[in-house]
Amino acid sequence: MRLPVRIRPPRRSHGWAGAALALATLALAPPAAADDPPSFTDTDILDRPAPYFRIESVNLRYTHYDQSGTGYQSRAAPTGGPGSELKLVGPHGGPGSEWATVEQPQAEIIAKQGDKITHRIWLPVDIVTAASPDAIDAVSTASRTNEAGSIDWTTTYKATPESSLTVRNGLHNEENYRSWNSSFGVTRSLAEDNTVLEASTTLLMDWFDKYTLAGAHDGHTSRTSASLSGGVTQLLSPTTVVHFDYGLTLQRGQLGNGWNIVPLTTGLEALEILPRTRVRHAFVGRVAQALPWNGAAHAFYRFYVDDWGIRAHTVELELYQRLSRLSYVRLNYRYHLQTGADFFTTRAPPDFTLATADSDLAPLDAQTVGVKGAFDIPVHFARNLHADLAVERYFRSNDLRVSVYSCGLGLLF
Amino acid sequence: MKKALLVALLAAGSAGCVIVPQNRRARLADPMMAFTQDALEAHRKQKLYSTREGAAGGDGITAGGGCACQ
Repeated sequence: MRLPVRIRPPRRSHGWAGAALALATLALAPPAAADDPPSFTDTDILDRPAPYFRIESVNLRYTHYDQSGTGYQSRAAPTGGPGSELKLVGPHGGPGSEWATVEQPQAEIIAKQGDKITHRIWLPVDIVTAASPDAIDAVSTASRTNEAGSIDWTTTYKATPESSLTVRNGLHNEENYRSWNSSFGVTRSLAEDNTVLEASTTLLMDWFDKYTLAGAHDGHTSRTSASLSGGVTQLLSPTTVVHFDYGLTLQRGQLGNGWNIVPLTTGLEALEILPRTRVRHAFVGRVAQALPWNGAAHAFYRFYVDDWGIRAHTVELELYQRLSRLSYVRLNYRYHLQTGADFFTTRAPPDFTLATADSDLAPLDAQTVGVKGAFDIPVHFARNLHADLAVERYFRSNDLRVSVYSCGLGLLF
Repeated sequence: MKKALLVALLAAGSAGCVIVPQNRRARLADPMMAFTQDALEAHRKQKLYSTREGAAGGDGITAGGGCACQ
């Protein structure tokens, strides 16, 4: 989502020195014959044309997540952490560990091909060390660390100054999981870019391993997710912009991860059983307001509803304050409130048809507080070097806490 | 919910009458005013929430799929 603002590159200005040099050149130049051909070329007058294929920007980000807490779907011992492969054996009374750490490096390259085509290559990686999947194979601990990587290629074609088409394809690979995604989008700006309309559709196909309750491999399964979304971004004043959008997602297939458990009223445990389909709606409204003291405020609201019985409201506020021409700081707060899935339980009857104990599908509220500092650093080898540091703390009402540390580095050529 | 949607659509429609000329958009061009400043940061935020809350989607993002953690 981009603001409908066109930023023109600054023109070079030589000022009085340039004018004096031009006058001196004219005064010293020998008189030219009237029929002499011009001794200058187009590039002497105009800027040198940009290369046909050029890299516009390179961005890197590294994020570390440190999670602790418990959930009834986890097979790991409640203490969690390294050594959580020592899962509880036999009747499972309380919630298990949701301890996890995630290292998430990402790289992004944006390149222009001619004047109308832009390519974006994105390489996200997740290295997850988690208690819950690790507890499946307690002996080998092969699941203790799960490396996941994706390659994602987006091509945008600017058909006219007002409209563009986007095609995106990606592949994702994990230890026990493969995924492919493809999407198509259109963007159209109206009224001198005061209004920007966006629409897109995405198809995701996932293939992954199934497990028995004892942790043995049980073949493969799959799911598909198709989504449609549409949005509008509108300038309201020289200091205010708003955005609204709606997203519909239809899912079919195995919609769980294959290893979550449900405690039974008998004291035993069973694999969760989820519906085979899910229809999800999300409505989003955003507003950004420039503040008179060189700051900005962003407000975000999202309403979510699905046919599993979950309804959610999310509010987020961000306050920006520019510290200098090259730096600013951001404070953010987010509140999320959701009802649970109709079939969420922490004690299912032995003959259940649908049940999950997944704490993500429970009734809960969650809060996030964070701070970020961003800096632009002048460098001689690029137009701009951008760096930022962010720290966030996420905490949920049903015993989950995550600390997030993130730093980014970007070069604009 | 229908009323809220209708109000949002009316607000968006009436806002379409406003024209802000190009030469008055300097404040809007500030990176602090961008809804999504950095796609990589947007991904890390989306991942944090979509893998821990059963209520993802919106903002052009598919709700679910694409990762074993969802």
